[in-house]
Amino acid sequence: MLGDVLLIAEKHQKAGEVIVEKILSIRKPKMIVAISGESGSGKSELAHVIAKSLRKHGIMAKPLHIDNYYRIHPLERTEWRKQHGIQNVVGPNEYDWDTFLRNISEFRAGAFSTGPCVDLVTEQIDQLTTDYSGIDMLIIDGLYAIKTPDIDLRVFIELTYHETKKAQVVRGKEPQNEYRMQVLEKEHQEVQALKPLADLLVGMDYEVRPASPQPKL
Amino acid sequence: MLNDKITVTKKHLEAAEVVSEKLQELIQPKFILAIGGEVGSGKSTLSYAIAQKIKKQGISSKIIDLDDFYKIPPKERKAWRRHHGIESVGPDEYDWDKINRVADDFTHDRESTMPCVDLITDEVDSLKTCFEGIDVLIINGLYATKLQQAHLKIFIELTYDETKEAQIFSEKEEMTAFRKQILEREHQMVQSLKHNIDLFFDFDATLDKYHL
Repeated sequence: MLGDVLLIAEKHQKAGEVIVEKILSIRKPKMIVAISGESGSGKSELAHVIAKSLRKHGIMAKPLHIDNYYRIHPLERTEWRKQHGIQNVVGPNEYDWDTFLRNISEFRAGAFSTGPCVDLVTEQIDQLTTDYSGIDMLIIDGLYAIKTPDIDLRVFIELTYHETKKAQVVRGKEPQNEYRMQVLEKEHQEVQALKPLADLLVGMDYEVRPASPQPKL
Repeated sequence: MLNDKITVTKKHLEAAEVVSEKLQELIQPKFILAIGGEVGSGKSTLSYAIAQKIKKQGISSKIIDLDDFYKIPPKERKAWRRHHGIESVGPDEYDWDKINRVADDFTHDRESTMPCVDLITDEVDSLKTCFEGIDVLIINGLYATKLQQAHLKIFIELTYDETKEAQIFSEKEEMTAFRKQILEREHQMVQSLKHNIDLFFDFDATLDKYHL
């Protein structure tokens, strides 16, 4: 994604460090970490700090944003969603999973990979080619990222759009209106349904904890 | 440039306002805006603020970062510079043929392929974009104002001493003795480009706009 503005705060750094510890403990070649959460919950920020921190441990990690893989062009999406009904179309099927999964398998193979890359300034979709031969780890983030098959660590941010409304406005990424609220509500339902898949949960105050507590003996 | 961290502040928004007014005056099809200035002076951030500002006026722009066009890739640059000495630091480190080709692709509404550095991995990816429908090309970089084709040239003042803090803050590069030498050298090279500039900004003295 080009032209994205990240608001990295101390909470992202702190949570990032805990997640990096976990990653290092289960480290394996060509590992994939997925981060899910609602709009504005801080997925990209977390992916950014984790990738940066891993570099200090000698691990080359690349963030990959699933929002680059929307089937419908950014400039046409609002119209398209309204036409087909927000309830019917907002969800994982809005993404081109075939291309995404192809790019992921190219990462695993250490091959050259070409995928979409949205420029948020022009609102056009560029094509980005990456040589994955030197990349050790992929940090994928997106609403439904942890739905991706064969992920090594799944992180779920519990913050909902109710709590992050303010962050959204600050970020100015999308207009705030009735339509947007309906989309956020539908995404909220779809994203929350994925929570049971998570290995790690990031709570309301960005505290990190394991998803399933250790069973009592 | 992928994964660049930018922080837009009031001074950037105010400067963007001034630039967009100037742009309205001069605008012509396939307009090229060059933003030069010192390391860490806010070139990328100002580019972003201008792009968002003129977008609201219905002008679409694409931002190109000159740092994507280094001949020597990021991971090898330090060793290359040490080997070739401090005099090797300067505009010649950039692939101007490639830069001119991209500017040319923009002017002719063509599809264009260019390097794109990922600042997290320091790997050079390749970006393919279509310039059709893009009204303004915003090129920013230390020596961006060298670009002959530019219709409007902006220079951000601030000597490298003043930007030291910003440099550390942006965490883009670590500060070492050699790094200091490079900054001093880049500062001299950048300062030598201060002719032929249309607009100057001095972010240190709030908003001081003047023509040469």
